[in-house]
Amino acid sequence: MNLELTWRLLKGGGRRGMLGTWLTLGAVAVATALLLFAVAANFAFEARAERGAWRNPVPAASEAGKGTAGNEAGAAGDAVAIEASRYDFVRDQAITVIDLAALKGKTPAPPPGLPRFPAPGEVWLSPALAALAKELPAAELAGRYPDPEGVLGDEALVHPGELVAVVGHAPDSPAMTAKRSQDWIVGKPPVKVASLAGAPSEDAEAYQVLSVIASVLMVVPLLVFGGAAARLTVARRDQRLAALRLIGATPGQVVAMTVAEAVIVALAGALTGAIAFALAVPLLAGIEMQGGPWFVADLFPGPLVLAGVLVAVPLLVGLSAVAGLRRVVVSPLGVAKRETPPAMRFVRVIALLAALAAFPMMTRGTSVAIIAVALALAFLCINLAGPWVVGMIGRITAASARGPARLLAGRRLVDDPRSAWRTVSGVALTGFVAGFLGLLSPAAFETEVSGPPQLRVTAPAGQAAQVADQARERLREAGVTATVKPVKDVVGAAIRDSDAAALDRARTAMSGLVPGRTPTTELDDQRFGVQILADVRVGTIVVLSVSFLVAIAGSAITATSSILDRRQTYGLLRLAGTPLEVLDRARRAETLIPLTVMGGGAILTGAFCALPFMFGAVNVVGVATLAGCVVVGFGGVIAAGALSRPLLRSVTADPAPRPD
Amino acid sequence: MNDVLVGRALAKRFGQTVALGGVDLTVRAGEAVAIMGPSGSGKSTLLHCLAGIMKPDEGEVHLLGHRIDTMGERKRSALRRTRFGFVFQFGQLLPELPAEENVALPLMLNGTPRAQAVRQAREWFGPLGLRSMESRRPGELSGGQAQRVAIARALVSRPAVVFADEPTGALDQQTGQETMRLLVEATKHNGASLIVVTHDLNVAAWCDRTVEVRDGQLLVTGVRA
Repeated sequence: MNLELTWRLLKGGGRRGMLGTWLTLGAVAVATALLLFAVAANFAFEARAERGAWRNPVPAASEAGKGTAGNEAGAAGDAVAIEASRYDFVRDQAITVIDLAALKGKTPAPPPGLPRFPAPGEVWLSPALAALAKELPAAELAGRYPDPEGVLGDEALVHPGELVAVVGHAPDSPAMTAKRSQDWIVGKPPVKVASLAGAPSEDAEAYQVLSVIASVLMVVPLLVFGGAAARLTVARRDQRLAALRLIGATPGQVVAMTVAEAVIVALAGALTGAIAFALAVPLLAGIEMQGGPWFVADLFPGPLVLAGVLVAVPLLVGLSAVAGLRRVVVSPLGVAKRETPPAMRFVRVIALLAALAAFPMMTRGTSVAIIAVALALAFLCINLAGPWVVGMIGRITAASARGPARLLAGRRLVDDPRSAWRTVSGVALTGFVAGFLGLLSPAAFETEVSGPPQLRVTAPAGQAAQVADQARERLREAGVTATVKPVKDVVGAAIRDSDAAALDRARTAMSGLVPGRTPTTELDDQRFGVQILADVRVGTIVVLSVSFLVAIAGSAITATSSILDRRQTYGLLRLAGTPLEVLDRARRAETLIPLTVMGGGAILTGAFCALPFMFGAVNVVGVATLAGCVVVGFGGVIAAGALSRPLLRSVTADPAPRPD
Repeated sequence: MNDVLVGRALAKRFGQTVALGGVDLTVRAGEAVAIMGPSGSGKSTLLHCLAGIMKPDEGEVHLLGHRIDTMGERKRSALRRTRFGFVFQFGQLLPELPAEENVALPLMLNGTPRAQAVRQAREWFGPLGLRSMESRRPGELSGGQAQRVAIARALVSRPAVVFADEPTGALDQQTGQETMRLLVEATKHNGASLIVVTHDLNVAAWCDRTVEVRDGQLLVTGVRA
């Protein structure tokens, strides 16, 4: 009975009623699509970590604790193979090289993406590396990986387009027995393994933690936005529901009708959002992280996760709707009688100050989990303190107003600070993210490299001169002009021609010069730091883009619903001669004044939280990104508000539609 | 008495419906005129045409000798703000503003500094029986009190004509009578004319003259004895 009446009321809401319904549906769709993205990103990083795990050897239980790198715990079972990894380079890309050798008398299972365990001398390349080897002259790349047996399947790759080479060796080959660097950045030394299952690498796990933080930063504004969308439904319906209470509907019936209406609209919105997300996945998969784009399948959340989101979103919207209806339920006159709202409690601000007080106590060594929790708390407390601050801004604006527009704006902020906060909360919370990440970008990774490129390789102890002679000979035969000098154990070859082709010829010529070691330049050694920097920047831009989308969509929805809610007052004011410009200026001031104060305050708060984790000087790129965010955020919110001006004109154009 | 507001041969159609079919009405300075008629008779349309809220399809409207129905929306809007005052049935006060700022708003819209506008607004609270209600918000006022605040707002700009559309429609009989008394007395005290749209004979009885609109035509004219 309730459901049937709800459905009839929903359908019979009139043109403007339906506009509100569509707005709610659109808002929930945007929120769901972005929520799926925030959730899917975590699963995508997890999928990458799992696919790359086989390259991160876990020593067999019998080998654990012998001073090798990798997990000290050890994997169960007898050792069956030896595995090592290193990095090679071509042009400006890294190649992951996995050296494998089956122990004598053992037949290890092949690694993922390979039909069999590579025999000594066999080479398998990833599709992208195989294509590049064909594209470039053999002396620049293919010479390093001659006669490949085949290509690796996708299950062996972290991302499509990744350059990977798997090289088979005999277990007693120098490549598998020579001592290597213990620095995990340059690879993993040979380890006896019981299987090639491996474990996610340290850097893959770090990316997973960072993606959790990014998700928290994205999900909180999304929840605020979803709540705003739900209350939009209630704002349009509260008069009607109050009327139902007046004619005797029980609180339970009113709640049930509200929940039913909100959930019906939210479910439709959530499904629309899920479809929009699915359509956007191919585009999102193009976002490069860890050196490459994504497999489309990685970004599709599993059916359970999808079902969870599709259930959770309408449920949250329904709960928000109930919370918004409390006044109607408590009293049938609750909506009709508008009284001076009670002042909000200062304890909200104290909660924020308490959350912020934790940050100066942290250092760069603080656990990422603790930082994530503190950030989430600060984020939630900003959301808690926001309406209080908006109310205070309203009081100051109203007290200092000389013209009607500012007076109206100030009084409205005081009247309903929560609603005003909902309009600006997206940008304010984004400002917090921008302030935090803007200063955090690790610019320290980038150092200036001058002069011709120099390939360096560490020779076995006491063999530097011999290795240098071999290098000279190989480079001469390859037609590369270079000055080769040993300095202690390091052999350096300064290449005269600084073009990329000459450098790659030199790399190919020096390939295998020292078993298990790859000659690298200073830029090669910095490449991982530069990669992390690039990824942090991409991550920042993604988080900010999502936050701004939420903020701008939220502003448009709030501005529109505000006009719909006040259409009678606006109409009568216009009828009495109030210029449209005054109403529009009041609306603008109502948004811009708290936006300026809250946006600026949130950026400073974010920067304050980032201070303990800063690397040296202020990052110019980060600050420029921050400034860009402020401009885009303000512009977006102003534009979103301006979009609703035609609606304001429409609702006030004909204030006397009655033919009476 | 001088003619303040003159409507000549006013006609207005809404699609196939004839709301006004050539109505003449003249309102003199300080005069209170009641426009009566059943629902859908065209009385509110007549008020809206006279007040410059809508343009008649045919006919002319003159305020103090100046034709206003040919003015653009901006000019008519300014005219409504400066020369006319309005009292409606409900929903006319801004719920966010305290009563004194609701009254001061028309003055501020006309450029009066806020402090002066609020000072002038407060002067209306005593005569209208609203003393100590200045800082209350509309939600904290009774229906009768809210209408008295609306009357103060309509008169604060010293308009030439006050238009009231069913001003007591949402009030009980006693409060409605008291509100009408205050509306008529305050309007006359300020030398303004009053046009009241109502279907209530008790309300019309407060006016100097009653005109009746039926099917878009002005049928009967009665003058209070």
